[in-house]
Amino acid sequence: MKKVISVLSLFLVLFLAACNNSSGANANGSDADGPAEVEFWHAMSGPHEEAIKKFADDFNSTHDDITIKPVNQGSYEDLQQKIMAAAKAGNLPDMAQATTNVIPEYIDNKFITSLNDFIEDPEVGLSEDELNDYIEVFRDSSTWDDTYYSLPFSKSTRVLFYNQTLLEENGLEAPKTWDELQEVAKTVTKDGVVGMGFENSYEAEFQGILKQMGGTYMDEATGEPEFASKEGQEAMGMISGMIDEGIARTAGEDEYMSNPFGRGDVAMYIGSSAGIPHVGGAMEDGIEWSTAPIPTLDGEAATTFAGNDIVIFNQSEEAEQKAAWEFMKYLTSPEVTSEWSMLSGYLPIRQSALDTEEYQKFLEENPAYKAGTEQFDAGFFIARVPGGDAVRNIVLEEMDYILQGMKTVEEGLTEAQERAKAELQ
Amino acid sequence: MQKPTWKSTLKGYLYLLPALLILVVFSIYPIIKSFLMSFYTDYDFFSDTVNAYGLENFTKLFQDPNFITALKNTGIFVIGVVPLSIIISLAIAVLLNSKIKLSGFFRTIYFLPFVTSVVAVAIVWSWIFHSDYGLLNYILGLFGVDPIDWLTSPTYAMPALIILSIWKGLGFNIIIFLAGLQNIGNQYYLAAKVDGASAWNRFKSITLPLLSPTMFFVSIISIINAFKVFDEIFALFNGRPGPANSALTVVYYVYQKFYEEWEFGLATAAAFVLFLIIFLFTIIQLIVGKKFVHYN
Repeated sequence: MKKVISVLSLFLVLFLAACNNSSGANANGSDADGPAEVEFWHAMSGPHEEAIKKFADDFNSTHDDITIKPVNQGSYEDLQQKIMAAAKAGNLPDMAQATTNVIPEYIDNKFITSLNDFIEDPEVGLSEDELNDYIEVFRDSSTWDDTYYSLPFSKSTRVLFYNQTLLEENGLEAPKTWDELQEVAKTVTKDGVVGMGFENSYEAEFQGILKQMGGTYMDEATGEPEFASKEGQEAMGMISGMIDEGIARTAGEDEYMSNPFGRGDVAMYIGSSAGIPHVGGAMEDGIEWSTAPIPTLDGEAATTFAGNDIVIFNQSEEAEQKAAWEFMKYLTSPEVTSEWSMLSGYLPIRQSALDTEEYQKFLEENPAYKAGTEQFDAGFFIARVPGGDAVRNIVLEEMDYILQGMKTVEEGLTEAQERAKAELQ
Repeated sequence: MQKPTWKSTLKGYLYLLPALLILVVFSIYPIIKSFLMSFYTDYDFFSDTVNAYGLENFTKLFQDPNFITALKNTGIFVIGVVPLSIIISLAIAVLLNSKIKLSGFFRTIYFLPFVTSVVAVAIVWSWIFHSDYGLLNYILGLFGVDPIDWLTSPTYAMPALIILSIWKGLGFNIIIFLAGLQNIGNQYYLAAKVDGASAWNRFKSITLPLLSPTMFFVSIISIINAFKVFDEIFALFNGRPGPANSALTVVYYVYQKFYEEWEFGLATAAAFVLFLIIFLFTIIQLIVGKKFVHYN
């Protein structure tokens, strides 16, 4: 009996010690005189994670006073949830990858540091030319009222994937306008093939068409959703019309359009340029494919840019924040961003990276990546407001009702807009 | 029985302490905290400052059509899963309990789904349910049934979820039922056989009444588990609550509000409502159970 009790108390002691340890340890674990240790949370896995590790190692070997510790936190959702929990526990890392649409929440809750002081610093900052070298649409999506809260990192845009083999068999070319696209889709929809595909998150396509029609999805300044307008109904009507007609489908149970596209069940689809490596992997033998810019509408080009930025959290000491800024600068430097984009398929975020010989050669060898870089001028991003994710849930839900025929386009969008308004108040 | 002394009580508590500590830290404290949180109407989650209390979260909750949908779907799910699951697992348990060859092998087979990760199971089932390439539609096709959009049609999403959940839960119920069946003394069956009772009569008049404590336990656990369904939906419908919210359940609603929309008060209020519902059902079961459950 004594033995059992002593085992139990041992267990208890260990348990208490473990509790004590986790709460007492300093998340950043830095001493005053040692090198500044910077924890970088990200959601990159596989070869992408390897690349980040390599960047960190390279950086550490040239910076004696800084040690970067990249930590993979799982998926984007996992990362976001862990940041939320860490913020609550006062245990935030020094820097992290963050999806553009959650950054307003981080700003609102005062988790992250404004980068203006770093950028304007004469010593460690960025010169005017350097700053302007960041591609405009990315620079804009990182600023809120002239304040930089993030720098772009893993960015992507929408591109049109098409099955070259199938289109050539039908004597067709990749469509350049939405009218052409509908014609092509009509022609190739037969023998179990559907002409056009939309991802399950096709609200991006809705937003793009809406913009091409001259409408606005949401006004960032006022935080007012405006997508139920006449243009919005036309845009949604176009998508749902194609689906009702049977010449288009959504990814649905296939989760990502790359799966049915790879099987040759779908001739074209619009998806993220970050999906290019996945499409390459999903493709069945004997199917040639490529990408094209998003079709225009009445001569108007517009497409959303999205993806992840990097942010610096304000719970860290000044030295760590400064060190994090150094690494942020390094990650977004022309050399690193061009290497990163060739490795990962994300877009280069600096104009000078795009112009390098290496990158141009890469584009020649991998023409599928070209379409993404060709539409920077047509790029825009969706209003970034706190509560944006809730609005996204509402819109996806109401769009579902529309596609299922449970609501008309007008009903669904009006309802979505009213619910979004109530949500954002 | 010995009278409790100070010494034995203390010893008892010492045994309880490790489990109790874990329970208090990871269950009791969060339960109390989230209960309180459901009354915070103006709250900064991160700095933990509360500016106003009230019942607003609850009124908002019941005005949200999605929450009503979630309640309805959860109800349908519970009704769809629990009775069928109990009947099927009882039937399989009775078969496994009879003298058949390889019964150990079959027990393992039936228990496998329970120990397999929900996500892996749901991914396999999403292949089975696939409208063009799925096994299920292929088999139905052999009988001349047109392909069904199991995962993309709001009508069939819930049945698909129910099928998956029944299959997944069978193993656990079967093991419990088997344990219960093996506790029934053989003398009752022998006596009944001498009296010439048929197999059905033996089942109805001996097995069922003597199995009632087990049945009671299984039904309480099954109902509680069914009310808490979440993982299966998340994995089966790729992180969406089914087409057109057709598989939105209360726990999924809580997840959406808490993690996706940062509506902490609303999420905890919904969780509390779910707690009340489960509590109510358990009370009813306890009352009804008193009438029908025979402890030897």
